Amino acid sequence: MSDPRSIEADPTAIGGVVTPPFARLPDPDALFVKRSLRLRAYAEQSDLKPFLLFLAGVADAQAAILPLLPPVEPPDPEALARARDNAMPPVDRAAIAPDAAFDATFEALFDAAAAVDQPDEARAALARIKGDRALRDTCSRTVLAGERPDTGLAEHAYAAAALQVHMARLAATLDPASLVPVGTGACPCCGGPPVSSTVVGWMGADGARYCTCALCATMWNVVRVKCTLCDSTKGITYMGVDGGTDTVKAETCDECGRYVKILQGQKDMLVDAVADDVGSLGLDMLMQGTRYKRGAYDPFLLGY
Amino acid sequence: MNMELSRRHFLKMAGVGAAGTSLGAFGFAGVEAAQAAAIRPYKLANTTETRNTCPYCSVACGIIMYSKGDLKKGERADITHIEGDIDHPTNRGTLCPKGAALHDFVTSKTRITVPRVREPGSDEWTEVSWDHALDRIARLMKDDRDANFIAKNKDGTAVNRWTTVGFLGASATTNETAFLTYKAVRSMGILGFDNQARV
Repeated sequence: MSDPRSIEADPTAIGGVVTPPFARLPDPDALFVKRSLRLRAYAEQSDLKPFLLFLAGVADAQAAILPLLPPVEPPDPEALARARDNAMPPVDRAAIAPDAAFDATFEALFDAAAAVDQPDEARAALARIKGDRALRDTCSRTVLAGERPDTGLAEHAYAAAALQVHMARLAATLDPASLVPVGTGACPCCGGPPVSSTVVGWMGADGARYCTCALCATMWNVVRVKCTLCDSTKGITYMGVDGGTDTVKAETCDECGRYVKILQGQKDMLVDAVADDVGSLGLDMLMQGTRYKRGAYDPFLLGY
Repeated sequence: MNMELSRRHFLKMAGVGAAGTSLGAFGFAGVEAAQAAAIRPYKLANTTETRNTCPYCSVACGIIMYSKGDLKKGERADITHIEGDIDHPTNRGTLCPKGAALHDFVTSKTRITVPRVREPGSDEWTEVSWDHALDRIARLMKDDRDANFIAKNKDGTAVNRWTTVGFLGASATTNETAFLTYKAVRSMGILGFDNQARV
């Protein structure tokens, strides 16, 4: 809003026609609590109930460890300025090395996750990654690189769960106004791929679409009816389960042959980028019968 | 970063078995199979969202039209909803009451979809073909222009004006259509030229 004493014309002040913010940074304290609640809501009406309750337990663990962790080391101002000048992500995934906060996050998360009810396979994977620092770091690097491993998926998911906490805390140290677009399908905070996109119902951004980073949970604005991965506007269609909910659809692109789910946050305020992606796994199963490949990166749904 | 499957990655340790999906790796293979069985009877429904410009006025607000059905598959697509386009810099998702009622405008029973004529003296509208309508308009315009065209004013200065006919342009036109409309109308000498946007 302009200065009310100014005689400068400011049409954006009329009727609430405002430009939506480019990015919204995560609030770690709310993020994992909301995710856990959403996963439990899905669990009530899903065949995936045991898996969803397990992930809700992991989200609870992510939320529970937050007060125990030492503060994260934000990127130094020089690196931030350099990143901004060159339209690069301010949080450099490749430069993330185990420091005190990183180690504490992984240790705390693995301890908290051990208390979650889980199958023997999951427990064995947790024990492996907890007891082997080299494995922990290998898995972290793979997840940070946005790669899809084809072995040790559970270990990678545990590493990703810890990284989600660490990255969200790092992202929360930034100034949202300082973020600029860094590339197609890339998080403006850490450069990572999206887990899903959401049409939000926020004040001042009602109906705008935001992609959510799979790790740091930063949300960034992407023009609607456009592929979030390749920027094409050709052949965009929305596929949903016939007779099912309108809340989650697959936004397919004919140019790159991939799809990323789009959530209707206007219709359901409680949507969560990760929880709704996992909860709507049935849609991915149906999409396997089409020519579109899953393009989103969700560390809890690898293999799809 | 968004490659579908990046380079293969092998863990150098024993006991990490290859698993197809995260669910399998966590020991939820049975749950995954149950979900697959439950979803099998269901089909996918296609919807599309298309950008357009509101036809009402010269503000030219961006709109998104939602439709059900896939034209690419030869299905019929029906518009189910129209709303303001948040990404359009002019209106940022907002619409005026007329624009907000566009869906009713599209599906209105009284919407005119074919050319109709009410002949002089008649009180009835009759449907005619596009060819008939365009020929008729061209004929009447030619006759009127031949009869009323003013090439020079009383001082002998060339003015080339045709003041007995007016033209009303559409508002949701592209720049190219607007350019052609202007050229066609002005080159005939029509002075009474306005736009539907101001009605």
